[in-house]
Amino acid sequence: MQMLVNALATAAILAPAAVAFTLIFTLFRYANFAAGGFVTVGAFAAWTLNAPLGLPLWAGGVGAMGVCAGAVALSDRVVFRPLRGRGGGTLLLVSIALSFVIENIIRFGYGAQVKGFDLPLTGPLVFAGLRVPKETLAVIAISLVATLAVGALLAFTPIGRAVRAVADNPSLANVRGLPVPGVEAFGVIVAGALFGLSGTLVGVDLAIDPNLNWAIAIPVIAAAIVGGLGSPLGAAIGAIVIGLAEELTAAYFTPTYKGAVGFVVIALVLLLRPQGLLGLKVDRK
Amino acid sequence: MDAYFVAILTIAGIYVILALALNLQFGLTGLVNFGVVGFFGLGAYASGITTESFHAPFLGGLAVAMATGAIAGALLALMCLRLSGDFLAIVTLGFAETIRLIFNNEDWLTGGPKGLLIMTRPVFADLGRAANAWMVLGVVLLGVALTLALMLRLAGTPYGRVLRAIREDELVPATLGKDVFVYRLQSFVIGSMLMAGAGSLYAHYVQTITPDNFTTPVAILVWMSVIVGGPGNTVGAVVGALAVVTIYEGSRFLSPWLGFLDAEQVSALRFVVIGTALILVIRFRPEGLLPEPRHRPVVPATSRPALKG
Repeated sequence: MQMLVNALATAAILAPAAVAFTLIFTLFRYANFAAGGFVTVGAFAAWTLNAPLGLPLWAGGVGAMGVCAGAVALSDRVVFRPLRGRGGGTLLLVSIALSFVIENIIRFGYGAQVKGFDLPLTGPLVFAGLRVPKETLAVIAISLVATLAVGALLAFTPIGRAVRAVADNPSLANVRGLPVPGVEAFGVIVAGALFGLSGTLVGVDLAIDPNLNWAIAIPVIAAAIVGGLGSPLGAAIGAIVIGLAEELTAAYFTPTYKGAVGFVVIALVLLLRPQGLLGLKVDRK
Repeated sequence: MDAYFVAILTIAGIYVILALALNLQFGLTGLVNFGVVGFFGLGAYASGITTESFHAPFLGGLAVAMATGAIAGALLALMCLRLSGDFLAIVTLGFAETIRLIFNNEDWLTGGPKGLLIMTRPVFADLGRAANAWMVLGVVLLGVALTLALMLRLAGTPYGRVLRAIREDELVPATLGKDVFVYRLQSFVIGSMLMAGAGSLYAHYVQTITPDNFTTPVAILVWMSVIVGGPGNTVGAVVGALAVVTIYEGSRFLSPWLGFLDAEQVSALRFVVIGTALILVIRFRPEGLLPEPRHRPVVPATSRPALKG
């Protein structure tokens, strides 16, 4: 049971970023490996607002979502938009270079020291022998609400429908009178805010340092692939799968190899079910 | 200064081999391998362990390293080459990170974070520091020459043309009866083998390898070499690697003017510049410094209309 709680905590951190990754993938058909970089930006933005500036953490989190949305939108405008239509491989290479640039800008500005939020110490809640730190509970609750909200947004609202239409076939959506660039910008901003949220949640649970980048990118992308690229619900379920796999590895094998779990899970998915848990075959360029 | 020059040339030679190997995989065949540093590290450790734990000579270590690289490359390729480039990229990236975790944690085999000390050197006898350094450089340059000869030969043959055709549109060679999967597999395995070979040379040159020697920046530098040099152009990969190593090593000399920054910041700044340059080259000059030579089809002599009857 304790393991399940830990797994959910990990899943809660990964889920928003995995949904964001999958959203960008469906809209623009490239794997944005800078996901880890954006999550790191979110973590540092939240930390800056929280620790040196003394704002409460929720305000830091909201600020981080804003900063990340701006960063993702800026990167889309400056880096990715001019390269649209260049093929998935090129965009992927660029996103890795971008991730590398982001990581080192953060290292330049903040140094390599590990940072943590300024949070009051609280005792864990104990239900039936289960110890759940209050922060963990908050992380799980916030992530669940955010993921469901984005899922509902995409599924039930007009703008969500527009995003799905553009993702499916931009020229058809354009012919039908949808403002495609506006809808794309909306999707990018939602994805950015989700990266920022993941970044804040990461900071609550783990340490904040520039090396977060690759450490978080692989499980996030793994979650999106396990769930089936292109399915936000699948990405959330994928995050739970990755969380469970990491906890099982830590419990029955060795905690030092938690970092390899994402890679092994991706390998297994590629061997057994290449379209992911909930995915359909996606056309790629 | 002389010793420094020899050291830079040795490192540059190792990067040239890595760039040539990646150029075979990405430049010619279009395979996005982000695990360059994984194969490089695998070769370094395989070679180091073979010569230190099993007291094999340098050539034995090199052979084991290349075999290990080839096997690892084949396994990864079998797993994901049928799928598209995105998956290959994430799997190879995950491979590199996982390999580094193993170097870090399996102390009994790799020495863990303290590193592995390698006494075996590719030299005949101890003739003093300077002579040894020159001899190591000679061995590395021999490796470069052999790799370059192999690549120039491969790129010019019908085999190389099939690889290029696969990169452009795999349906075309498939229609002509070429087994696309087998070609991709071969290209990936040869590249991985050469990367591991470069790792072996590196290990016996630096003599102490730690997991920190095999992190993402190395992969970025190799990618930068191929992209700047001109993907698909063998000579371009060599020029690109030399240019990147010159810029990277040369930027050390800027440190005195950046005295207001600490060492961490200078290192971060270098990587920001390198990453940004990579993005700019991809955007504004995707064909690189030396574009891939266009293949001119041989125009048949004026064809005579077939005589009827």
